[in-house]
Amino acid sequence: MAREVVMPKLGATMEEGIIVSWLVNDGEFIEEGDPIAEIQTDKIVLEVEAESSGHLLKKLYDAGSTVKVHEVIAYMGEENEAIEQIENFSESKDNKLEEVNEEEKVRKTPAANKLAKDNGVDLSLVPGTGPNSRVQKQDVENYLQQDTSKITPLAQKMVKDLKIDDKDLIGSGQHGKITKKDVLSAVTKTTSTQERESSQLKKVPLKGMRKVIAERMSESYYTAPHVTLTTEINMTECVILRKQLLPVIEKETGYRLSYNDLIVKAVAHTLSKNKALNISLQNNEIYFYEEVNIGFAVSLDEGLVVPVIENTDQIGLAEIVKRSKEIVANIKNGKLSPEYFENGTFTISNLGMYAVDSFTPIINQPQSAILGVGRIVEKPVVKNGEVVINSMMQLSLSFDHRVIDGAPAAQFMTDLKENLENPFRMLV
Amino acid sequence: MTTFDVIIIGGGPGGYVAALRGASEGLRVALIEAEQLGGTCLNQGCIPSKTYLKNAEILEEIEQGKQRGILVKDVDFSMEGMVSYKNSVLNNLRMGIQSLLKARKIEVFNGLGLIKNSQEVEVISNNEKTTLSTKNIIIATGSRPLIPKVDGLENVQYHTTDTIFDLKTLPKSMTIVGGGVIGVELADVFSSLGSKVTIIEYSNRIIAMEDEEASKALHKKLHDKGINILTNHLVTSVSEENGCKMLVVEKKSGEKDVISSEELLIAVGRTPNNSATKHIDLAYNGAFIKVNDYLQTNISSIYAVGDVIGGYQLAHVASAEGLTVIENILGNQKKMDYSIVPRCIYTNLQIASIGQSENDLKSKGVDYTVTKYNLFGNGKAQTLGKKDGFVKVFTDSKYGEIYGMCMVGPYVTELIGQGSAYMSLEGTVYEMAEMIQPHPSLSEIFMEVANLSIGKGVH
Repeated sequence: MAREVVMPKLGATMEEGIIVSWLVNDGEFIEEGDPIAEIQTDKIVLEVEAESSGHLLKKLYDAGSTVKVHEVIAYMGEENEAIEQIENFSESKDNKLEEVNEEEKVRKTPAANKLAKDNGVDLSLVPGTGPNSRVQKQDVENYLQQDTSKITPLAQKMVKDLKIDDKDLIGSGQHGKITKKDVLSAVTKTTSTQERESSQLKKVPLKGMRKVIAERMSESYYTAPHVTLTTEINMTECVILRKQLLPVIEKETGYRLSYNDLIVKAVAHTLSKNKALNISLQNNEIYFYEEVNIGFAVSLDEGLVVPVIENTDQIGLAEIVKRSKEIVANIKNGKLSPEYFENGTFTISNLGMYAVDSFTPIINQPQSAILGVGRIVEKPVVKNGEVVINSMMQLSLSFDHRVIDGAPAAQFMTDLKENLENPFRMLV
Repeated sequence: MTTFDVIIIGGGPGGYVAALRGASEGLRVALIEAEQLGGTCLNQGCIPSKTYLKNAEILEEIEQGKQRGILVKDVDFSMEGMVSYKNSVLNNLRMGIQSLLKARKIEVFNGLGLIKNSQEVEVISNNEKTTLSTKNIIIATGSRPLIPKVDGLENVQYHTTDTIFDLKTLPKSMTIVGGGVIGVELADVFSSLGSKVTIIEYSNRIIAMEDEEASKALHKKLHDKGINILTNHLVTSVSEENGCKMLVVEKKSGEKDVISSEELLIAVGRTPNNSATKHIDLAYNGAFIKVNDYLQTNISSIYAVGDVIGGYQLAHVASAEGLTVIENILGNQKKMDYSIVPRCIYTNLQIASIGQSENDLKSKGVDYTVTKYNLFGNGKAQTLGKKDGFVKVFTDSKYGEIYGMCMVGPYVTELIGQGSAYMSLEGTVYEMAEMIQPHPSLSEIFMEVANLSIGKGVH
């Protein structure tokens, strides 16, 4: 029987998602719970799973398409089930829904099903807000929060009177029941927060890209043991090279060569010779990447993104300049196409345009290393026994010590220093 | 030497309940009791007094049977028979405790427990000393009758609750010093049995800690029964003449009188048993052991529960404290909550209260509403022929929160459990009004008083 696969709603604010890639071809058989497609929202990539076993009959959108939540993105059913049947599905869906109900009792998403099972919720009692009244995860969450047994009658009256959202309350009674004491304590807390807010604070909910960054940074920081190595680079030769190449590259690409482009080139070049840092740890497996795909952090008003230049070690400096400038321009124009962010193997975070000499960057998981770049400053340095003024820059490499040891990381830094201090070699 | 997780000194309702819960939770528990298991409650308090009160109620009901057309001739009773029946009840309950302790593999030591330090307790039994090692100690040594300083009292034979339940013969007359719960309950018993009873109370009313209206209702009931109640009276001296106890009593106004009776019962209160703690440096509140909200003494591994810490000297409070301490020993950080404690007086006009009294609310300046419903309008009360009494509920006018309740009437010591449930679950007077109660039943008074409280009185 043909069944819909819909764009899931993964958060209260999610209105649409991008189909990053299809993981199953038309006609292919899928087991219940297996992933069908990767979808992306707010920079999270998640998999849509099959609710039941069957064949993928038809994909309605290509990868990269943006689809509203709850829209049907594909149909599943019996092998070789006719297209007409699929097209007729929506017309006769009410009848078919009954049949589905006979079999499944309640239409629900896998996430809703799991949450309900974990909390002992009878799904037949949960009103579904999805297509064809399908019960979504959010519906189960709402149901759990509305469970009247979790708040005492007195506390319920107080909550209503004081216009407090009981979802914000933490129950201290039996099995987490919200009591009068909890309401009073929330009122005291809210009052003091409101007093502070009215005088000096502005409160903004953590959501969207900021939320994703917050989650990913803390996850990385707390799961990967970070070690950071720092070194100082004499950028004098890079300064000279950039001056010489500026008109040449501008003429060829229409864009100005930046120090960041030179650093991207140097890192890609060095990484291609130090593949021990071009790796990733995922699900207890170490991925050794052949391709060197450098990501570079780009700051936006709402947060931070890391677009990727694929095969960075294989392309010339002019191409790096061209691609990076185009990507950044597109991103700043709001074109957050998923293809810009795929397959990165190493990240550069450059704060050289600010008064920052060095910092400890947090690894952009699932990668295993990131390079932090400081500003270029003219400093007195000793060269051939004499004090001279040179352009100096500090680099910090944070690496995941679970999979990268100090020696290969130090070797990478040594080679990178060698390359940046003798940049002409990279161009040969 | 075996190290216990917890040693409990005292096998009363605080101690043995803590032992049972501790053992259920997997703790290795030792229980030390110098006398009989069950403590004051079982042996000299709640259980014997309630057994006698039932006897008194039976006698009273037989007498009142005439009004209902029941004629019984030659009603008599035997003091010996009453004592024997009471002892059988006590034995059954003690055996129950013993078998529970045994089933949960609690090591029971019969002897006097003496705390040597925060981790050692000595058991003294038949001049033999055994030292036990432990991680935690619970002091549940209870209390004994308080004997006031009165001229001549030491030269007179008097009773306390330790001896009164074993009287072989019924005294013709009895003076009870103290108009608190123990005093009024035993006054009711001996009056029903046929003794001429006098209560001497220093305060201006009996059961002075309870609701004034309830106190007045009980005063009237006891007075109507023939009990002489002298309030505002102080006993200044006692002597014995020709087998009679002569009490010189003085009114607060200065007026003096002499009360004579065959027997004298001292029931002015109870004082803690602190013999177990004389070797350690514990902090006290007067004579009572000082504890924090977690029932911990100033020595962190030593806890104390029950009468020995003062406050509510009630068996069910001691048990609740014992259970709380076990939670704390298990690391669950539980504070003892005294806000919803039922308080019961089992006289044949029963009184039961819970939560805050009207006096508490007044003294705290709480804005409250009081609603009263008389038992007279209750069908079941009429069928029982016990229509004296009322229920009062003290509520917050905004949310209908139940601050407290006071009940007077038949079986209210059972009914108050319903009040306990409403309050513990933070039900308001609105939920109380909506709850369907059986008919005919005394429970209907909850529904009636609640509806009255929200302006929707039914009957």
